[in-house]
Amino acid sequence: MTLPRLTSSRQPIRLLQDRMATGLITAGGIGVLLAILAIGVFLVWETLPLLAIGDTLALAKLSPLAWGTLKAALAALLFAIPVAMGAAIYSALFMSARLRSRIKPALEMMEAIPGVVVGFIAGLILAPWVERHLASALVLIIWLPLSAALAGLLWQRAKTRLRRHLPLSWAGLWLVPWLAVMVALALWLAPWMEQQWFDGDLRQLLDQRYGMDYATRNALIVGLAMGFAVIPSIYSLAEDALADVPASLIEGAQAMGASRWQALWKVALVAAGPGIFSAIMIGAGRAVGETMIVLMASGNTALFSASPFEGMRSMAAAIAIELPEASPGGQTYHLLILAALVLFIFTFLVNTLAEVVRQRLRRRFRQMGGTL
Amino acid sequence: MTSASHTVSRRRRFSRVNDVWPWLCAASVALSLLMLGALLTLLLVRGLGHFWPATLEEVTLDSGETFAGQAVREVALPQRAGDERLYFTGNQDIEGVRWRWVAIDDIAESAQPDDLIRLDRSPWGDFIGRLVAIEQHDQRWEGDAAWQRLNALLVLPASQRQDSQLLLTTVDGQTLRQPLASVASAQAPNAMSVWQKTLAWGDAVWRFLSEGPRAANTDGGVWPAIFGTVLMVILMSVMVTPFGVLAAIYLNEIAHQGRLTRLVRIGVRNLAGVPSIVYGVFGLGVFVYGIGGSLDEWFFSDTLPSPTFGTGGLLWASLTLALLTLPVVIVATEEGLARIPEAQREGAVALGATRLEMLTRIVLPMAAPAMLTGVILAVARAAGEVAPLMLVGVAKLAPQMPIDGEFPYLHLERKFMHLGYHLFDTAFHGEDVQAAIPLVYATALLLVLIVLVLNLTAIFLRHYLRRQRGNEC
Amino acid sequence: MLASLHSANTSQAPVAHFSSEHSCLSIDHFSLAYAGKEALCELTLSVPRHRVTAFIGPSGCGKSTLLRAINRLHDLNESVTHSGQITLEGQDIHDPQMNVTELRRRVGMVFQTPNPFPMSIYENVAFGLRLQQRMPKRKRDDIIEWALTSAALWDEVKDRLHRSAWQLSGGQQQRLVIARTLAIQPDVLLLDEPASALDPISTLKIEELIRNLKSELTLILVTHNMQQAARVSDYTAFLHQGELVEYGPTDQVFTNPRLQRTENYITGRIT
Repeated sequence: MTLPRLTSSRQPIRLLQDRMATGLITAGGIGVLLAILAIGVFLVWETLPLLAIGDTLALAKLSPLAWGTLKAALAALLFAIPVAMGAAIYSALFMSARLRSRIKPALEMMEAIPGVVVGFIAGLILAPWVERHLASALVLIIWLPLSAALAGLLWQRAKTRLRRHLPLSWAGLWLVPWLAVMVALALWLAPWMEQQWFDGDLRQLLDQRYGMDYATRNALIVGLAMGFAVIPSIYSLAEDALADVPASLIEGAQAMGASRWQALWKVALVAAGPGIFSAIMIGAGRAVGETMIVLMASGNTALFSASPFEGMRSMAAAIAIELPEASPGGQTYHLLILAALVLFIFTFLVNTLAEVVRQRLRRRFRQMGGTL
Repeated sequence: MTSASHTVSRRRRFSRVNDVWPWLCAASVALSLLMLGALLTLLLVRGLGHFWPATLEEVTLDSGETFAGQAVREVALPQRAGDERLYFTGNQDIEGVRWRWVAIDDIAESAQPDDLIRLDRSPWGDFIGRLVAIEQHDQRWEGDAAWQRLNALLVLPASQRQDSQLLLTTVDGQTLRQPLASVASAQAPNAMSVWQKTLAWGDAVWRFLSEGPRAANTDGGVWPAIFGTVLMVILMSVMVTPFGVLAAIYLNEIAHQGRLTRLVRIGVRNLAGVPSIVYGVFGLGVFVYGIGGSLDEWFFSDTLPSPTFGTGGLLWASLTLALLTLPVVIVATEEGLARIPEAQREGAVALGATRLEMLTRIVLPMAAPAMLTGVILAVARAAGEVAPLMLVGVAKLAPQMPIDGEFPYLHLERKFMHLGYHLFDTAFHGEDVQAAIPLVYATALLLVLIVLVLNLTAIFLRHYLRRQRGNEC
Repeated sequence: MLASLHSANTSQAPVAHFSSEHSCLSIDHFSLAYAGKEALCELTLSVPRHRVTAFIGPSGCGKSTLLRAINRLHDLNESVTHSGQITLEGQDIHDPQMNVTELRRRVGMVFQTPNPFPMSIYENVAFGLRLQQRMPKRKRDDIIEWALTSAALWDEVKDRLHRSAWQLSGGQQQRLVIARTLAIQPDVLLLDEPASALDPISTLKIEELIRNLKSELTLILVTHNMQQAARVSDYTAFLHQGELVEYGPTDQVFTNPRLQRTENYITGRIT
């Protein structure tokens, strides 16, 4: 069979098209990257006029905000780190693979819940409830970990058949009703305990004996709400780091006679340490920058107070409230932009550090996985 | 011998303490699930329950006073033992207030008579009481006939029932003349069957989704907010998709894969972690005051000093959110591009394809689902983001929709309503927060549903993609 | 046809020389380095037209690198540098006048693992055609049928031309890739271990196809399977550590190698 020869008449057009497209993509790509870079440039540029004013005023205005930001972030991390780390350790090392493939996306879903919804629940529902039931709330915080430990002890004494039906690898799921029952029990008992130990009103006791004021929207509420928002980001990254630890490492430690938990503690946590560190860093970055939750759950009072029962005002919240009213070019305007710059630099540095650490760790594991 | 058994038992006890740790870890997962479940259940129950026609009670106090209302909740009394109950009583035009706290001990009698009705009126909000008569010109209906006539008239549009008047009475005997034109709906919830209540519930949900807010956001619906959110998100996707994809193609296919590209990649990834409020500041400073201010000076100088583009608006809000979600799209697209086997690229090139042809015919079609995932994630993030919008252009109540029949139809400079901001504003700046809370629940539920559905779509898309890729190797 | 066969005087490597009318592709003192590390060193050989030439050698000897250099696939990688010449029908392939897409049309390439595109069988074969030229559908259908027939695949797929190419078996996929390349009518077909990922029966089919194709075009086959080289090729070049060790008619290289290194490899002492 003879075929007509193919001509190459379209060659010049094709090459021209290719060259033009490459130029366009390069220009567009670099343009987009420069636009992103412009954020930093703009923030620095707009804070330059502050140099003329001197730093005492800036310090006086910004330091309560900085304190509020730190306090809120700390409160959130205090709640989020233990829960997120526990969840990460459990789902990376103990959970059954089938459950894990369902639970992990569900927990990551938490991250998608808009801050404004969490803030609303915290500020308008949780805050008044905790104000009325402070003792119950505090009892719950102590009672929940205890009840988990109790579940563990009961399980070890339980019959083998029961244990087979409720294995540890599915405990993340079947502990949910257990905890719900325990919460109900604590709430039922708390008023009696308050009566017994705190003369019937914990808030009054705090006020009279320790001089602690109680604001409805306070650091405790912010910590719970923002902790809720930060848990998924820490959990997700820490879980990845732990799940990436080569199984051979853990098995090696177990073969040498370590119990599961010792193997985990000594080997996995140390090996995944940098990854866990970077997870916590990213959580901290998120807690520092979160706006709506602090705005709605904190009371927005710019105070210097370490009390967990008093409010605060964070930099992000101050920007959101004050910047639209500040006249452009005025002193407040520049100060608030300085606050934004601080947030930008802080989160950018923290995230970069976390990312670099994470990549290095991943490379190390890949090498180990290859050689072991 | 004894010392040996002693150490064994000590070790066993030690390991038992150690064995508690996994349970604490498991409880963390359970606690997280519990919190998530509690949050979603709360939103679902309160958000949807609000639309269920509530039973009305006629309450007589020990003092002999009577009133009618809907029981809302009970809390412990501050000073003495026992609980007090909050009633929604409506009738703001008669009583001056809409809420009433009553100690439960003070209630002598509580009944649920079938003839109590609830009217939804446009000024003054709800009326709770009894219908005496309905008057149209010189005709008059009373009793059951009045109720039937009222329901027949309410089907008509408001402009066609200008001439009718309702004669109403509260349970404690005060009378009121109410023009029918200002009544939106009427219910006698105590007389309704479950099926009727379900119908009424569906109708109320539909009105919530399709109507504008009334009575300072404490009543009515959220349609303008849904519309504003959707419009802004669409504009944002139109802007973010091409630029994000372009930047990802440049980074992955064209740029020299050296140290600089790696640094840029880390930088882009980290921008996803920069607080959204910082993007808002940038949008306000650069888009609104910078570009918008200049546009006003050049093209809209006749309306100055009142700004046109020099204030927050639809265009600036979508641009700011586009910048905010750019890293999301870039990262997802790059991930998709990196997953395409090199053999596919080489196969195309070896057949004489130029780079453009290789990209458009082989690489981009294969990476399309990943790009779609990125855009969906970006949309989900943008839909829930409120903080930057507070700086660049939402309104409590936008008098004009951003799209109308007037040239140029799409008004990019106008302010708009946004679900998230509407939620914040109603919950924290409303005049009667107590009355607004049920609607805030409903709004929050709507927002969460939108965001979760978008995220789930992205997750399934990605999951499906990974499986497909897995099969092919 | 074999005009002269003698050792080049510049190096000890033996070189087969064909007169220019019989030589399709000639490689002249060609060296190539990845990021400064030399992968090919001063290679000189010429490939006869309408014959099958096999490149053999232990893995890492540079045979695949040489094949990719002929297609200029290294253009995609910026860290690759080269010197010396490769000429196709008398034209330097690195000449700035030379259009690289046209070169790749004339020099088709088939890879180790089958890489059909994620589209229908028909579209896979039409891919190169659509790039080159707009043509009426009738004519395109004819060429596609011809290409699939030449690749001995037509009878197996003619009823499912519009099904996904990924549903084919590995051997069928590889023949589809060959058909896809044949459709744009190349002068030279480069095959980079085309059967290494296939089962024995598919391998035999591919080998038979290679033998049949040499009436149409010039083939260069890279393989680590010496039996395959012996079965299929007319000429064999043995490469070791980036150098050309021995090159000549296949019978001679396998039965009576002139150098000890070649014999060591063929008898399995170098792997």
